[in-house]
Amino acid sequence: MAYEEVKVRKPLGLILLPFFSVVCFFGAWELIVRAGIVPATMLAAPSDVGALFVDKLTNPNPDGATIFVHAWVSMQEAFLGYLLALGIGIPLGLFMGWFGVVRGIARPIFELIRPIPPIAWIPLTVFWFGIGLWGKVFIIWLGGVVPCVINAFVGVRMTNPTLIQMARTYGASDWQIFKTLCVPSALPMVFGALQIALASCWTNLVAAELLAADQGLGYLITMGRRLALPDMVVLGMVSVGVMGALIGLAIDEVEKRLLAGIRR
Amino acid sequence: MPPAAPVKIDVRNLTKRFGDLLVLDDISFQVGRGEFLAIVGPTGCGKTTFLNCLSKLIPTSAGDIFIDGRVADPRVHNISFVFQEPTCLPWRTVRENVAYGMELKRFPTDKIRERVDYMLGLVGLAETQHLYPNQVSASMVQRITVARAFAVDPDLLLMDEPYGQLDVKLRYYLEDELVKLWQTLKATVIFVTHNIEEAVYVAERILVLSNKPTRIKAEVRVDLPRPRSLIDPAFVQIRKQVTELIRWW
Ligand SMILES: Nc1ncnc2c1ncn2[C@@H]1O[C@H](COP(=O)(O)OP(=O)(O)OP(=O)(O)O)[C@@H](O)[C@H]1O
Ligand SMILES: [Mg+2]
Repeated sequence: MAYEEVKVRKPLGLILLPFFSVVCFFGAWELIVRAGIVPATMLAAPSDVGALFVDKLTNPNPDGATIFVHAWVSMQEAFLGYLLALGIGIPLGLFMGWFGVVRGIARPIFELIRPIPPIAWIPLTVFWFGIGLWGKVFIIWLGGVVPCVINAFVGVRMTNPTLIQMARTYGASDWQIFKTLCVPSALPMVFGALQIALASCWTNLVAAELLAADQGLGYLITMGRRLALPDMVVLGMVSVGVMGALIGLAIDEVEKRLLAGIRR
Repeated sequence: MPPAAPVKIDVRNLTKRFGDLLVLDDISFQVGRGEFLAIVGPTGCGKTTFLNCLSKLIPTSAGDIFIDGRVADPRVHNISFVFQEPTCLPWRTVRENVAYGMELKRFPTDKIRERVDYMLGLVGLAETQHLYPNQVSASMVQRITVARAFAVDPDLLLMDEPYGQLDVKLRYYLEDELVKLWQTLKATVIFVTHNIEEAVYVAERILVLSNKPTRIKAEVRVDLPRPRSLIDPAFVQIRKQVTELIRWW
């Protein structure tokens, strides 16, 4: 680059402001609980949550598992559901985008099912799968598959029509056009679905575990409520948030690599 | 005026309507094997529609196109179409783009390799063959599509104002290159343009189209030696003749 980038220097105050804000937030939270402004039965102080976290690293009681086990179970469910959503949703969306027959068969059913929130499936899922792993995987899959189908579908529909005409003049078959034009054109949209589907999967994971589970981070929250332990509820919430953020960062990294591979 | 060489392309009573709008009105003509034919006509007269019919991208309302006596069919004949807008695939390298038409036609791999090497050499893209289309200049992008079109050894090569968006100097350069390719590879070319000078410069014969409903208004043979000169009195004479034909309706 010929020009030097213009560097904007942030004043020191602005750099420190976020830290200050976070410290104040937790300080105020700790204070209102300690001072009894909010009773301890309604909210746990951050220090209590921290102490519980340290305890739960090794102690499976009273909810039946350590925090690692809960996190591991949630991760497994989320990733199984997520991978199945990608594996089924993306090919389905791609085929729906190009092949009229697939579109004709799958689209009406897809449009009927799409507006039903995955959580509404929980009772049926419990009938079908019980409260084990696969019931929750199904709920998570439902949440993840919708954005996969939509993004892959839209990606294929955006294929430049002139390119399709060009291939037609060379005598290309429908399958050749799909493989050599539609799929590569749809890739950026498909990669976009990775992040959206993950967010959807993670949200539905917690919902599924709140209602039907015996392990997992969502279950930790439910148990905290049943046992009237606000510190356990908050610990469950924070763990879900932190893990979701971490997985999001990881997927972001994967997405960047993939996009760098095709955007030259 | 029949073509000098044996007939390669035979267009019979080609008619195209869009609803009530009659665009192409009963057009018949022939193109000889290895001939370079240019088609000029006023804007909106249906030149693109005409090529779309010839390449079978859209159905005709009446009449048909025959190649070597058989009804034209992209699955049977090698038809190449160079579109006005660039149609390089951005996710393929220059080399892979040139190979694309042959891949669609399922040429054997070693034939593709050999032919791509040959074409890249002819159009001077050998050095940039591993770059992607957005890494090369605009003129090179159109050369990629021209190389891809010639690579399949087309029975019929259709070109729709391929150099319309390029500046004048580049145009002359690419027109020279196109003529060289045509002479070397002996393809049958139909070249559509609204630039009369360009038509006289490249073609052996020019069809002048009328306004809608479009018919062939006149046919001009360009019997000038190559390389042609834009200031040669004979060249200027033909250019003026075609200009008059287009202007006078
Ligand atoms: N799909 C279509 N439906 C209806 N009318 C059409 C369609 N395609 C083209 N036309 C009409 O046919 C006529 C010829 O269009 P065409 O694009 O072939 O002209 P052209 O000679 O290529 O013009 P230009 O010089 O601008 O490239 C125009 O009047 C256009 O409106
Ligand atoms: Mg046109």
